[in-house]
Amino acid sequence: MTTDLTDRTSTTEMSPRHAPRWMAVAAVAALGLVAGACSSSSKTTTPTTNSGGPATTTVKLASATLNGDGSSFQAVFDQEAAQEFESLHSGITINYPGNGSTTGVTDLQKGLVNFAGTDLPITDISGITIDPTTILYFPTVVAPITISYNLSGVSKTLDFSGTTLAKIFAGTITNWNDPAIAKDNPGVTLPNEKIVPVHRSDGSGTTRNFTLYLSKVDPTDWTAPPSPTFPNNLGTAAAKNAGVASAIESTSGAIGYVDYATATSAGLKYGEVLNYAGKPIAATLAGAATAAAAATVNADLTYDPTNAQVADAYPITAPTWIVVYKTQTSAATGDALKAFLSFIYSTGQTHVAGATGYAPLGGALLAKAQAQLSDLVVP
Amino acid sequence: MSVTELPPPPVSSPAVSPLASLNASSISPLRRLRNQMATGLIYLAVLVAAFPLLLLVIYVVRRGAPAISLNFLTKPIPSPLRKGPGMGPAVVGTIVITGWATAMAVPLGILGAVYVTEYGTGNRVSRVVRFMSDVMAGVPSIVMGLFIFTAYTVKVHKLTGFGGSLALACLMLPIVIRATESMLSLVPRELREASYALGTSKSRTVLTVVIPAALPGIVSGCLLAIARAAGETAPLIFLIGTLQAHVNWNVFKNTNTTLSAQIFVNATQPFPGALSRAWGAALTLIVMVLVLTVAARIISSRLSVKAR
Amino acid sequence: MTATATRPEAPPPPAPPSLKANGSRLADRSFRVITMACGLAVLAVLVLIAVFTTNKAYPVFRVAGLSFVTSRNWNPTATHPSFGALAFIYGTLAISVIALVVAVPVSLCLALFLTEVAPRRLRLPVIYLIDLLAAIPSVVFGLWALAALQKPLSHFYGHVSSGVHGIPVLDRLFQGNNSRDFFTAGLVVALMITPIITSLTREVFATVPVAQKEAALALGATRWEMMRTSILGYGRSGVVGAVMLGLGRAMGETIAVALLIGSIPSITVNLFHPGDAMASVIVNQFGESSGTFTAALVGLGVVLFAITILINIAARAFVARSEKAMGKA
Repeated sequence: MTTDLTDRTSTTEMSPRHAPRWMAVAAVAALGLVAGACSSSSKTTTPTTNSGGPATTTVKLASATLNGDGSSFQAVFDQEAAQEFESLHSGITINYPGNGSTTGVTDLQKGLVNFAGTDLPITDISGITIDPTTILYFPTVVAPITISYNLSGVSKTLDFSGTTLAKIFAGTITNWNDPAIAKDNPGVTLPNEKIVPVHRSDGSGTTRNFTLYLSKVDPTDWTAPPSPTFPNNLGTAAAKNAGVASAIESTSGAIGYVDYATATSAGLKYGEVLNYAGKPIAATLAGAATAAAAATVNADLTYDPTNAQVADAYPITAPTWIVVYKTQTSAATGDALKAFLSFIYSTGQTHVAGATGYAPLGGALLAKAQAQLSDLVVP
Repeated sequence: MSVTELPPPPVSSPAVSPLASLNASSISPLRRLRNQMATGLIYLAVLVAAFPLLLLVIYVVRRGAPAISLNFLTKPIPSPLRKGPGMGPAVVGTIVITGWATAMAVPLGILGAVYVTEYGTGNRVSRVVRFMSDVMAGVPSIVMGLFIFTAYTVKVHKLTGFGGSLALACLMLPIVIRATESMLSLVPRELREASYALGTSKSRTVLTVVIPAALPGIVSGCLLAIARAAGETAPLIFLIGTLQAHVNWNVFKNTNTTLSAQIFVNATQPFPGALSRAWGAALTLIVMVLVLTVAARIISSRLSVKAR
Repeated sequence: MTATATRPEAPPPPAPPSLKANGSRLADRSFRVITMACGLAVLAVLVLIAVFTTNKAYPVFRVAGLSFVTSRNWNPTATHPSFGALAFIYGTLAISVIALVVAVPVSLCLALFLTEVAPRRLRLPVIYLIDLLAAIPSVVFGLWALAALQKPLSHFYGHVSSGVHGIPVLDRLFQGNNSRDFFTAGLVVALMITPIITSLTREVFATVPVAQKEAALALGATRWEMMRTSILGYGRSGVVGAVMLGLGRAMGETIAVALLIGSIPSITVNLFHPGDAMASVIVNQFGESSGTFTAALVGLGVVLFAITILINIAARAFVARSEKAMGKA
């Protein structure tokens, strides 16, 4: 009995048996987490300014993370260019998820990203209060917006006139064997299948460029003003160009508007679009380049290549830009940004664009864009 | 029938005993049919629940297994166009974000449950706490995300993994409280009283006697909470952003991404490379969550204090 | 040490002062305060959630008022924006109802299976199965459904819709063969809420007094009749509570619904039509929103918060009622 008491007393007199063990584990874990929080990968190299021109030498950049977001239209290009750039500059991370033009510019406004990808001027996006004089538009690439569709039983590539497209997406034409589609495609047997129009559920520059084209080419049938928000609720919707491509892929009878790179990578069938003269133009990078070359470029480097009245120009060509604040606040990110943009204007134009499914900028526009790089103020 | 007249004896064969009328053949066929149909339906329900689950697991394994490799778990995330492994940042992000959430929710939850069980019998505060944690368990995770966004993310002006951890901690807190509370209440009174009788203070009793006694059950509850948090997606989408291509162990600087967020982002991509990485991430996540759940079950069944 | 079972419940006796150092009395007091603070953290978080979200959402309530929940005119990016969220509320409810209709019978049967019907060797595997179902994250359900279920479901819907063609009510309910619609989302959500309904129902069924069940059997009831009268009858409140918890969970389900619902705000009885739900529209459009649009999305969150809290409170009340009715019998 006495031994019991002594044992118990001695047990309680000792420092608590279990507490230190889990406390120790917790302390080690906390230390590990704190150590991770305090560590930062930094290089002590002196930053250099890069004013454009071919990036033939790997200039040492201070390590930085560039966060961007925006247009999914240029996302495939941006993500590839980012990956190439990162392989040349270790210590630089570039994240560009491509959640849509509206999200990107809104994030830029909220201060959550360093650069935004957009297919439309920021003043055309509702809710954006950024002063346009404080930002710079850097055009990146040009590409066609394809009219992708999923129609089994028709092997020939279909042609679509602007009026037919307007009617399909406005809901006036509801079946694939409609006479209007047949008129655009003489000699093709069209199946009796319901059309499922697919549009973007998120705020999208691609939507805005597509609706801009529709309102130019058929204002009678397409009465809604061009906007990043698709104006009706027909068919089905998906987020981002990639989402629309997935939806078209998995829905029989679907038709939607998808950027060229995504459509070709996804293996979608896309049609030819009849131009102002009634001639069917295939969605090609050459056609997009022709349309872009014919467009008038504004002083801030915005331009509109849709419905170009020039031979062989693809009618639904879309522009796209990277938007940054003119005055950068951080030297590391500012330098990285400048270097990335220079990379886009050198290797990006010569190699990455074509490889990913985009047309490079025309010579004149490219020169103006490179010159604008010096307007970027880095502390 | 007059009282004096006895009822006629039952007309029956000599071998009949009262129990014979209770055998199965005396139940009307309709009742027997209903019973069998009910049993059949019940077994059918088990199949209805099991079938999609098995389909899902087989499908995820079939499409995810080819993607898994050491490179997959460690390399940076390539652009969607590229094929090839790389979900390292997502794996690290899941670990780090869930880790911080656990570090915040578990101590808070355990101590809160301690209050409810040790100090709170019949107490109004403890009843409120118990009620509130039940209610909070039912709040959708996206509401937690909206709360953290307005309270934290807009104040710090950047997307960080820590914001995600805060939202996940809110999610884990009620789970930890409820599990700990039920485990602590299973610890027999005698244990506590023995400790008090020896002169131990209440705080010391709780920390050195009660909690260790309930520890397996508490650990099990925490593992389940961690499993739940690791699989969460909704609040993270707008709290931490949708991409971090490179491994980042620091939740306070330069956002993170998680396996769940990457699955969501890549689920609607048509590119085969991105899809295959999504399936690999799905398999990794399922394995992670499964290991935690199984560990929780094993710990709680083998080692916990059984109710006396 | 002998257990004194007959002693009534009393607070733990405090140690005599002479055995406690002054330091440990301070430790005890501070420990009590610390643990109470931690416990109240839950209350604090809930209050903070309510305060912050309502505050952020206030602009839209001021602009739209009651029309926020009664109007179906949702146009947040127009020059004259309108914020009528009725379509999203409808979508959330439609999916939840579909999910409950599918999940409740299955869950009840699973609970009955585990408490009454299962042979001993099958009990544990089925419990693990339900655990696994509960553990799989919502996003994986969504990914799987997108990849594996779209084509088969689309065919199935096509057959159903052509099959019910002409039948008065059914042909309005099932039209078309869209694979991303209310019904698909509802089916997947049903899979996800089955574990929670099953486990709570199982707890309720397990507390039905054995005497009740034995009495029914002794009177000659078949097993099904026993289950129907004793268990389902006795546990009715508890089952209602479990179902309501499942409803709350279904309404909050975000990611799988966002992937499968079609993202087209619509109010229609056609279950095979794409739609949109509150939680999904928040997660899909939060990034691109600003100003009053953001307030509107947070407002949806506030509505969701309020609804799920009310449902949860009611559910707990039902479960408590059933526990009281059964527990001490």
